[in-house]
Amino acid sequence: MATLRDSLGDFVDGVDGLFLFSPSAAYYERFADADVPRVVVADENDVGAESFVELPLEFDNVRDRLRFGVEGAMEHGFVAAGDTVACVISVFEGGGDADSLVRVRVDEAMRSGIYDLFTDSRAEPGVIRDVFEVAIDLGKKGQKGKPVGALFVVGDAGKVMNKSRPLSYNPFEKSHVHVGDPIVNVMLKEFSRLDGAFIVSDSGKIVSAYRYLEPSAEGVDIPKGLGARHMAGGAITRDTNAIAIVLSESDGMVRAFKGGTLILEIDPEGY
Amino acid sequence: MQRGTIREVLATVPLRFWLAFGTLVVGVALGWLTRLLARRVLRRIGVPDAIEGTAFERTAREFGTSTVDILAAIAGYFVFGIAVFAAVAVAEIQYVAQFWNAVAGFLPQLFFAVIVLIFGVLLGDKVELVVSERFRGLKLPQVGVLPLMAKYSVFYLAVLIALGQVGVATGALIVLLAAYVFAIVFLGGLACRHLLSAGAVGAYLLLNQPYTIGDEIRVGDVRGIVQEMDLFVTHVEADGEEYVVPNSKVFTEGFVRVRS
Repeated sequence: MATLRDSLGDFVDGVDGLFLFSPSAAYYERFADADVPRVVVADENDVGAESFVELPLEFDNVRDRLRFGVEGAMEHGFVAAGDTVACVISVFEGGGDADSLVRVRVDEAMRSGIYDLFTDSRAEPGVIRDVFEVAIDLGKKGQKGKPVGALFVVGDAGKVMNKSRPLSYNPFEKSHVHVGDPIVNVMLKEFSRLDGAFIVSDSGKIVSAYRYLEPSAEGVDIPKGLGARHMAGGAITRDTNAIAIVLSESDGMVRAFKGGTLILEIDPEGY
Repeated sequence: MQRGTIREVLATVPLRFWLAFGTLVVGVALGWLTRLLARRVLRRIGVPDAIEGTAFERTAREFGTSTVDILAAIAGYFVFGIAVFAAVAVAEIQYVAQFWNAVAGFLPQLFFAVIVLIFGVLLGDKVELVVSERFRGLKLPQVGVLPLMAKYSVFYLAVLIALGQVGVATGALIVLLAAYVFAIVFLGGLACRHLLSAGAVGAYLLLNQPYTIGDEIRVGDVRGIVQEMDLFVTHVEADGEEYVVPNSKVFTEGFVRVRS
């Protein structure tokens, strides 16, 4: 007679790794005797794990979080294509430790570039995270209660500047404002009323606002239905090594482009 | 009969002793008040928060007291000490007065020396905490020396001031201090001179921005697009190669803005 425990045991049969997403120290220790390597995916390695993947954003979408963890582990060489791993992850908020077990087969097709977007772009990971946070914040609150759109082009600023032209005077000229500075959210909120793109350098300095991007839009593969802002953002990432983070005015989503393709889609309401 | 004895006793003791006794009692009261007042003032100006976590405070806590209490007690005893001298003076005890006069001159200095010492130890601990906090992000074990050096430098200064206060000859120690400061300033300046000159130029470049991110410039034989500029260096990129040019070089060699 098979009990529930026996039947569900299949889930962890023959796995090559155990992924723990944001575990507490006590929870991590519970698996100390497990016969498979443990990989911790969290924003900080406070359990002192040997295999650790840093999570820059607490992705609300569980799939994104899983993808990020698995891709990060592949990049670090903790797992290889063909392995099967068990992921212990929390789907719902506030439940303390993880509430779900997901069995994932690692293969190259899984690579969506979400890990690559953060760690292997020209700009520093912290800068990309800060821009995401600004965009999410802007998407959540809007400007004076109305939804706003915004386009941030991050990294490779010199080249981007040469592939764009000013629409008007640059409010950030001779200023030394970095994304992540405390006042920046308010400032960007005001400037988001202006049309055009914000350009952010590799180290996070806001180089310019009000830029009209002039990339060649050939071979850009973005979903139909997205507007000119997304098209411009996607196209500039094909022409340069920058990434584009776009806040849509119509549906309020934050999307990230790299190399001309849509990599990540985040709903600000989830944060 | 009984009443008579008390009056006799009162009469035999000279008035000045009674005055001295009164002074002493007032001194005790004042000392106590000073102690309470000092404790409240120190708390109010946020001393406990400022010295949180320093070694001195921890040691004090181990003995069931706190830095604020110790400082307040010292202030109280100081006032009490003054009262004792006043009492001796009022009582006009000749042979004692001669001895005490010498002590009276010395005691305030000792008092200030102790205060300076405690302050120095606290400051040193605090400096160590702040410096190590500053370097915490840097994962380099050798960096642990820097906070310790800062701490002992402050200790050394405090000891020097305290010794100077009580009149110990500190000439040799001052020479040592001078040598130490000279070493830091001179050798430090020598070691950092490139950074200093690059930083000075960088300040000008950042304030005036003769070129900015996106401009094409040529510095020496490097030509490319400015990708990044900070206080010390300018990143110039050309054909996938990113040159990191020290800002001082931008000034000594001059730069060309390419407009085409």
